[in-house]
Amino acid sequence: MRYTEFTPFDIVLLAQGLGVSVGLFLATTVIGLLIGTLWAVVRFYRVPVLTQVITFVAELLKNSPVLVQLFLVFFGFPAFFHINLGPVEAAVITLSGNTAAFVYVIAVSAIESIGRDQIEAARAFGLTKWQVLRHIIAPQAMAFAIGPLTGLLVNQLQVTSLISVIGVMDLTKIGNILNLRTLKPFIVWAVVGVLYYLAAKLIAYAGATLERRLRAHTAWKGL
Amino acid sequence: MRIDLSLLVPYLPFMLEGALLTAQVCVLALLGSLIVGALMAVARTSANTLLRRAASIYADLFRNVPFIVQLFFFYYGLPEIGIYIDAFTTGVVALSIAGGAFTSDVIRSGILAIEPGIIEAAQVSGLSKTKVFSKIVLPVALRTSVRPMGSVFINLILTSSILSTITLNELTGTAKIVASDTFKPFEVYVVLLIAYATLTYLVSLLIAALHRRLNRDLGEAVR
Repeated sequence: MRYTEFTPFDIVLLAQGLGVSVGLFLATTVIGLLIGTLWAVVRFYRVPVLTQVITFVAELLKNSPVLVQLFLVFFGFPAFFHINLGPVEAAVITLSGNTAAFVYVIAVSAIESIGRDQIEAARAFGLTKWQVLRHIIAPQAMAFAIGPLTGLLVNQLQVTSLISVIGVMDLTKIGNILNLRTLKPFIVWAVVGVLYYLAAKLIAYAGATLERRLRAHTAWKGL
Repeated sequence: MRIDLSLLVPYLPFMLEGALLTAQVCVLALLGSLIVGALMAVARTSANTLLRRAASIYADLFRNVPFIVQLFFFYYGLPEIGIYIDAFTTGVVALSIAGGAFTSDVIRSGILAIEPGIIEAAQVSGLSKTKVFSKIVLPVALRTSVRPMGSVFINLILTSSILSTITLNELTGTAKIVASDTFKPFEVYVVLLIAYATLTYLVSLLIAALHRRLNRDLGEAVR
């Protein structure tokens, strides 16, 4: 008996794949946001050596293919550091690092977008550097960064498709399996593509909604 | 835990071959995406609603679906409808189409940034529609969009590493072979990471120089 036809169970498989993709995307986004913001704060405090190291690492991560980073972590780390890494762990490490590098750049430019005069005024009022960051810079920088961040996240969702290469059962891997079994690449990849497309649109929509709310205080309300 | 790079020296010519293939793919894909992007940008700024709608859908679709899914769609799908092309051609075509979506965006904003007065002056001088477009609109739009085009091109270089998944032995593909030959994945992929980062850095320097050269008569405004 050959199972070359599509079965109703394929829908469950696709849903599982989408779940893995979205789950990993959300997890790495949260970790990446935390690390990237932390790096930006380190830069804000002008910590001597650390700032240069972070800038260098971020540039390296931004300017090299994610696939190579993935291979480095998945194949390279276990061989070099003698540790055990599953595909999912490797994927989380790589994608978080990659997201962090891009978040760092966005966060730095968001912090620098706030005028010097505001910071000087706040310092003159006796606020500490942390208070300035927390109460003056953060709220404005957040509104500034949300646009580029949405673009980044839409991109990062697509980057998650690469982890199928190291064997994580994400949406692309499921597509691969279905394609090999049914030998109907047009339908399979079209469906997979549509699912990614819809997920990307959802992220873009959520980003736009959040941006409207964060910018509500600067919106023109009329006289 | 020591990095010994001398082990990789015998493999350098082999990896250089891969780098050459990457360069070939990237240059061809750059030309392809320029042509596709320019055509689509024209469609997206045309007066014809249907044409504009279709081109927007194209750009939206190919920017929001992961490249690896598009690649598999072409690589596995085309033979199904009787088109048999090798991995190299498939890769160049897929990169051109995906890159074209981003390029069309860049050129479109370049076209929209042209002052209407310039076009009106050309029309008043009695130039035909095609003349106005090919002699005035396109050169100006291409010239001002060199810098954003550069980041699209750098992205293209990074994306080309994904072609290793369809058996094309470009830089990443050869590195994979070397890594499994030497059992030194960490060293191989670290070198590869730095190689890609250096390559894209050099390209970005080149683009900045080109941008300055092409826009030298515009003075300080574009620097």
